[in-house]
Amino acid sequence: MSKDRPALVELRFELNGKDVAVECEPQQTLSEVLRGRLNLTGAKISCEVQVCGACTVLVDALPVSSCTYLAYEAQGRSVTTIEGLEGRDRTLHPIQQCFIDEFAFQCGFCTPGMILSAKALLDDNPDPTDDEIIHHMDGNLCRCTGYVPILKAIRKAAAVMKEARG
Amino acid sequence: MMPLRRFAIHRPADLGEAAEMLDHYGDTGTLYAGGTELLLAMRHDLLRYEHLIDIKAVAGLDRVERRDGHLYIGAGATHRTIERSAVCRELLPVMSEMEANVANVRVRATGTLGGNLCFAEPHSDPATLLLALDGTARAQGKSGERMLSMDELLAGAYENSLAQDEVLTGVDVPLPGPSQRNAYLKFQVHERPLLGLALSLELDDGGDIREARCAIGCVSPTPCRSEAAESLLAGPADSVEQRLQEAAAALADEAALTDDREGSAEYKRHLIGVLLHRAARKCLNRDG
Amino acid sequence: MSDDKGRDFEVVNRSVPRRDGRAKVSGRALYVSDVKLPGMAYAKVLRSPYAHARIVSMDTSKAESRPGVYNVLRGDDLEGLNPYFGHAVKDHPLVAIDKVRYAGEPVAAVIAEDELTAYEALEFIHVEYEELPAVMEPQEALEPSAPLLHQREFEAGALRGFEGEVTAGRGTNLCQEHHIKWGDVDEAFAKAAAVVVAEYYFPMAYAYAMEPYVAIAEVGDQGVTIYSSAQHPFMVRHDLKTIFDMPVSQIRLIVPFVGGGYGSKSYTKIEPLVSACAWKARRPVKLQLSVEEAMLTTRGDDALTWMRTAVDADGKIIARQAKIYMNTGAYAENSPLVCEKSSNRCVGPYAIPNVQIDNQMVYTNTVPASSFRGFGCAQVTMAGESQIDELAAKIGMDPYEFRVHNAAQPKQEFFPGMRPFDGTLTQDLKIVADNLGWKEPLPDGHGRSIGCSASDAGAYPLTSTAVRVHADGSASLMIGSTELGQGSHTVLPQIVAEELGVPFDLVRVVSSDTAITPYDRSTGASRTTTLMGRAVQEASREAMEQMVRMAADVLGVKESEIATVRGGITCGEAKLTWSEVLTRYYRLPDGEVIGRAYIRKDGDFAQLPVFWEAASTGIEVSVDEETGKVTMEKLGTCGDVGLAINPALAEGQDIGAATTGMGIGMFEELEFDRNQLLNGNLLEYRLPRFSDMPRTVKLELVQNRDGVGPYGAKGGGEASLNSLPANIANAVYAATGARIRRAPLTPEKVWRAIRDARAARGENES
Repeated sequence: MSKDRPALVELRFELNGKDVAVECEPQQTLSEVLRGRLNLTGAKISCEVQVCGACTVLVDALPVSSCTYLAYEAQGRSVTTIEGLEGRDRTLHPIQQCFIDEFAFQCGFCTPGMILSAKALLDDNPDPTDDEIIHHMDGNLCRCTGYVPILKAIRKAAAVMKEARG
Repeated sequence: MMPLRRFAIHRPADLGEAAEMLDHYGDTGTLYAGGTELLLAMRHDLLRYEHLIDIKAVAGLDRVERRDGHLYIGAGATHRTIERSAVCRELLPVMSEMEANVANVRVRATGTLGGNLCFAEPHSDPATLLLALDGTARAQGKSGERMLSMDELLAGAYENSLAQDEVLTGVDVPLPGPSQRNAYLKFQVHERPLLGLALSLELDDGGDIREARCAIGCVSPTPCRSEAAESLLAGPADSVEQRLQEAAAALADEAALTDDREGSAEYKRHLIGVLLHRAARKCLNRDG
Repeated sequence: MSDDKGRDFEVVNRSVPRRDGRAKVSGRALYVSDVKLPGMAYAKVLRSPYAHARIVSMDTSKAESRPGVYNVLRGDDLEGLNPYFGHAVKDHPLVAIDKVRYAGEPVAAVIAEDELTAYEALEFIHVEYEELPAVMEPQEALEPSAPLLHQREFEAGALRGFEGEVTAGRGTNLCQEHHIKWGDVDEAFAKAAAVVVAEYYFPMAYAYAMEPYVAIAEVGDQGVTIYSSAQHPFMVRHDLKTIFDMPVSQIRLIVPFVGGGYGSKSYTKIEPLVSACAWKARRPVKLQLSVEEAMLTTRGDDALTWMRTAVDADGKIIARQAKIYMNTGAYAENSPLVCEKSSNRCVGPYAIPNVQIDNQMVYTNTVPASSFRGFGCAQVTMAGESQIDELAAKIGMDPYEFRVHNAAQPKQEFFPGMRPFDGTLTQDLKIVADNLGWKEPLPDGHGRSIGCSASDAGAYPLTSTAVRVHADGSASLMIGSTELGQGSHTVLPQIVAEELGVPFDLVRVVSSDTAITPYDRSTGASRTTTLMGRAVQEASREAMEQMVRMAADVLGVKESEIATVRGGITCGEAKLTWSEVLTRYYRLPDGEVIGRAYIRKDGDFAQLPVFWEAASTGIEVSVDEETGKVTMEKLGTCGDVGLAINPALAEGQDIGAATTGMGIGMFEELEFDRNQLLNGNLLEYRLPRFSDMPRTVKLELVQNRDGVGPYGAKGGGEASLNSLPANIANAVYAATGARIRRAPLTPEKVWRAIRDARAARGENES
């Protein structure tokens, strides 16, 4: 194998409910593959040190920093990006709708990561306390909103989702 | 954007193969166990490797289970796995609590205990707690397994003492008896803690302290204990409480504190006292 | 402007959902970082390791010969370009020429087929430097023996934004100075009943727009086309016009959604560099900086302020004097204007009869400083509002009452020559005081503070727009204002919908393409709602005037017989919608009318500032005296906004600004050591997080319709930041008795101050 160009990885995984196959290089991150190869640009790149959460996607339902998650590790796993949250009939996920209703974003750069991080929380803990929301979301930065509207949106989404479950 | 330089990935099927790969690639290769620290260092060009040996594929390395008088935590267990492990929560709740507060939710989902310990970042929460809990590391090399205390494993800042062909497979933590009280506290300003302090007290029937282990982290190249501090921390509870400041000073002396961006040596010395008082209150149920 | 005070609003003054909501929650909102052009190459930048050095030689041949590398751009190979830019002072080379002036300055750029290839090539560039002595502090930089950063003389930029001279380039490191004087401060201080004098520091802060600087440039037969995350595309266009010596019609800036600006994307940043790369490589080039590179590109100006303030026996402020040293780093950028604004903002919001302010903005070998939310006001309000509390304490007056006693009154010309005050500070302060429970007892270890500020805002009034009303009754709004998140793409079409009487959802926004959208000077200084909002209102009305003439034509009546009603006209029995007017006029159900408006420094906007941006903020903190950790328990804001076109968005601006102010007050600071930026990454530069937010937040707006914007609106979005750092210092003092005059109030700093205060009181450390 050439020292400069390590072998390509044949990567297959489930992306937003559909199987995908793509070749990637071993050092490529999941965000590079999603954004560069698969044209899913919802995951944003900001701090690149796993502090800000803008690049958050879900791998097997857990939030990861796609900017620092090697793409090959998604092999055989299920990846959810912000593009996968809308329903087939284009209805928004309750978290997305609540973010709109509560003005929980301004520039929008943190928003895909915020929403996915919130989804991971609510799928795991449908009725979180404020402290639990804050603890879970503490690794997602937002420079615009002062967080309070985001907290309200997540609270409201929990209630909406609970009601939908009946 | 800061791209990662090119490298090859290898996925050994078992520990034997991993040991051989480590031996084969020498300085050009390293173990990859989660990447939450390694990939950042590589992205900043602080480290360069041509070969990453992904140990996570090796079966069984992520177990958390009771074994004899120990809690075994596999090196491949993520912070989240440990935080959520029912057996860990039941047998060693201080470990679960500590893990629940490592970095952030994404780091906890991918970062592993083994990666954290082997990377030997001086601000590691798990290393400090495991030192106080007297955890023992299991290392598997080509010639077999050996056991290392935390002190032995952590050789310096960003430096472990494993041989070229050795893989950390897990940590054995002695199960606390009913008379043991543990606390882990940290103080944090930036993304990594400024100070971590772990206290483990063995109480007698009267509530006095038979034996104490105390470790501080983040303020020295590796987490450290102080014999002098631990002897000050043993004895009748009331008198130990009188000696907390002295014990804190002994710990601070042992750590050879320095000024850095996290804080001055003087401030760190002060905070060791604050956290030791708080940890002691917690262990001795003095918080009401 | 017609009086519409009695009007019932249908669309404005309502919190309609954001226009960009669906795009932003679904990941479809397009930012420059998401744009790919066919055949696009990627650039990566080699940066100087030295703070000040001469470039002795550079060898780029190895890098250029690597597979996949197209070119290397270097400062000694820019023949055909005018490589210096800067709207105020043309002091900034697009890539270092002959020397570097700060650690992190671009010295070369590799252009390659992908980012990794470009990045890998960087280490094959060999640069030989001769290190020069560096100077990091303004006062040192003003010493005659200090190393000189700039040897050239500079031209003052025509678009510098102020009328005074530019003082840069006169053989010293002085970049700009500004002086204000009225009354006689010495006499006033001599007869004062009480005086407080002290020195305050406001730190270097990083705006952290989550989207780091990014631009894509293409240089072709049509001229230069640039996709950029710029806040002010028209100002950038002007800089590029000079670099390429082309008419502005051949420079096209396109700005899609911007991932946060906060002033840090004001004016020209990486556009000259990336367009030079595209010019050299003869193909489109993208340059995407990392956050760590963004931290080496622009920061906020830090300020050291010596200030004294005097009161008379009645508790009236009679004099204020300040001497300010500000630090613009290696290049002027917008700091000359920050210098003027921070000087002005030392005065308000109090009416003070004797004032003297002397401000020097100085070059140093640090990262260039420029606009940052608050724009000079935050820097000096740290001093001013701290000093107000210190003075109140000295004369035994409640700090809230002391402020009310001295605040500028509505219509008062508290700053000679400027627009009389158009806010109501006493009302603003009372709202915040009530929401904080000002007089209620506090738990031990808690402290409260209230503050206020007023900024001469709005920048220079030069704005134009077009409203196209289509024959089907929908409309397109053409605006040069960029959507940074502040909500201009929601607020501005609200105004169109209100005026034309068409549904909000039928008003499309087309924005920020200098080849298409009419001129707007800038998106900053809280000006968009006021200036562009007014232009949009006038353009809508102008479209309606045209449609009234069309209606007269199709109905065969005089214009005077036609009355406008919501969404159309009536004439006797006849009633036509705008769609019907246009369809009948053109005899086809298609076509449009274009309403236009031009705002200039005239009429309502003849006197500057365009408006006073005023707000009151208040907080309650608790202090862990053992560790020094400060926790914000409560936050109250009151934005004095005239009229909120969209109240939820206006309140969102207030809490966002307050949160940044809290960050700077509590932990944000860029630190330099041995000539290097020490904490240039987010692991070590601490930003406000979820867990830092107060559990009690009360946001209010005062809407007296006293501004010159549409329906009496004024701008907001910066003011709630300005008083926050001082509030934190004041609240910590209230909680602990320790006075801290340097932001940020980090735990260690607070712990030390408490210890020192106890020692001064003769208490032992517990």
